[in-house]
Amino acid sequence: MSARPELITIEGVTKRYLTSSGPVEALHHVSLSVEEGAFCTLIGPSGCGKSTLLGMLGGLVTPDQGRVLVDGRPVTGPDPRRAATVFQEAGLFPWRTALQNVEFGLELQGVPAERRRRTASELLGPLGLSGFAEKYPRELSGGMKQRVAIGRALALDAKILLMDEPFGALDEQTRVLMGEWLLDIWRRTRKTVIFVTHSLHEALFLSTRVAVMTARPGRIKAALDLAMEYPRSMESSEMVALRAKLWSEIREESLRAMR
Amino acid sequence: MTSRAAPMTVVGLRLGLLALFLAIWEVAGRMVNPLLGVPPSAVLPSLRDLLLLRSYPDLPASLLLTIREIGAAYALAVAAGLGCGFMLGMHRLVGRAWGPMLAALYAVPAVVWYPSLMLFFGLDAASKIAFGFLLGFFPIALAVLAGIRQVNPQLVVVARAYGAGTVTVFRRVMLPAMLVGGLRTGLALSVIGVVVGEILGSKAGMGALINHAYGLLRTGDYVALVLVTLALVVGSDVLASLLERRARRWTE
Repeated sequence: MSARPELITIEGVTKRYLTSSGPVEALHHVSLSVEEGAFCTLIGPSGCGKSTLLGMLGGLVTPDQGRVLVDGRPVTGPDPRRAATVFQEAGLFPWRTALQNVEFGLELQGVPAERRRRTASELLGPLGLSGFAEKYPRELSGGMKQRVAIGRALALDAKILLMDEPFGALDEQTRVLMGEWLLDIWRRTRKTVIFVTHSLHEALFLSTRVAVMTARPGRIKAALDLAMEYPRSMESSEMVALRAKLWSEIREESLRAMR
Repeated sequence: MTSRAAPMTVVGLRLGLLALFLAIWEVAGRMVNPLLGVPPSAVLPSLRDLLLLRSYPDLPASLLLTIREIGAAYALAVAAGLGCGFMLGMHRLVGRAWGPMLAALYAVPAVVWYPSLMLFFGLDAASKIAFGFLLGFFPIALAVLAGIRQVNPQLVVVARAYGAGTVTVFRRVMLPAMLVGGLRTGLALSVIGVVVGEILGSKAGMGALINHAYGLLRTGDYVALVLVTLALVVGSDVLASLLERRARRWTE
């Protein structure tokens, strides 16, 4: 396949949760590998364990079986130097300004104030937040808040960016624009992105690789490599065919999830 | 939004009410027995004598003692309030079991405890500090408890994902969220506790001076001492509100 090294290797991970109605298997023997520099999307019906899988990569969830390797080393806990996470809810600290929120991760790593201020300030431009450094989260729009959250992750300069439905709470138009913006950032920073989404459009428009997950218990049903150039036109015949193929994979699982 | 003229109008209205109050006081004060009623015009000389240390040369020492008692009471109330609120807030079972008891105790008029505090701690500073502590403790503990319950759990997840351990989560996430309110109310009540404690029975401090003047029917001196105490109380609240506003810029 590719000559590039694999940055992320997921080997046969299984996760069970105990609920009031008995144990639920969220993930069942999931294996997946992602090469460095890829934009890999995890797509599947609600409750298929996408977020659980992302949580394992971020070290917030421990697998019951199997293991997760990042850069050849197993993940044992959150390690923001290797992988930085962006959540669906921006999760900004309301008592910190936009700039201070971007600085948060660096602050925890003990980076001197002056240096982390400079790093964060330089990020605000590409984030489209130049005039908003001193604003508090309540003064920012939904899209801006999410960009601050992405800035907080980018500031760490980890190789991997984990994104859990980052645009899920935004309106359709903002969502499309944020996708274009993220693509631009990704191509400039050459990070490896793992992106969880419900949206076929996002998966096709953004990714180099799409992994379709099954309804619970989650498994990888299919993995597609997308080689098209950016920016992509959703109307090209290739894209229309891919969309139909992807939809047929997902539709079946979504129907199962609804039952 | 308020217009630019509004702050001046507000100040004007305040001064107007103050002037009206002083005028009524002046008229009423002149009509009653001069041993009991003192008009503002008669308080001014007393206030001057007081501030020049003619009537009560030990005013600075008394003021300092009262301030120190307040400081000690408030420091204890903050430490115990934060600790207790944190304990009740972090352990769900403990919070469910003891939180309502704390709220019920807060509803008891604290002054009923004062006689027993004097029995335990004597007539000196300790009983005043204990009373100020008792008054200040409850609002702080309850505000901390409420603050912890309102912390967005998502913020804790974010902090953990960015490498924060338990201590860092507490310092960077719980503490800022908790410090909303509570501390200012706690200070106001600690001040009240100390001053009331001194008036109810003491040998030194502002309350003791007030008792002395009042007992000897030196009404002008009494009113002047009350005014100095009032300035102390208002001053401490202004200080607390400035600090609070600075700390809470993000919520306004």
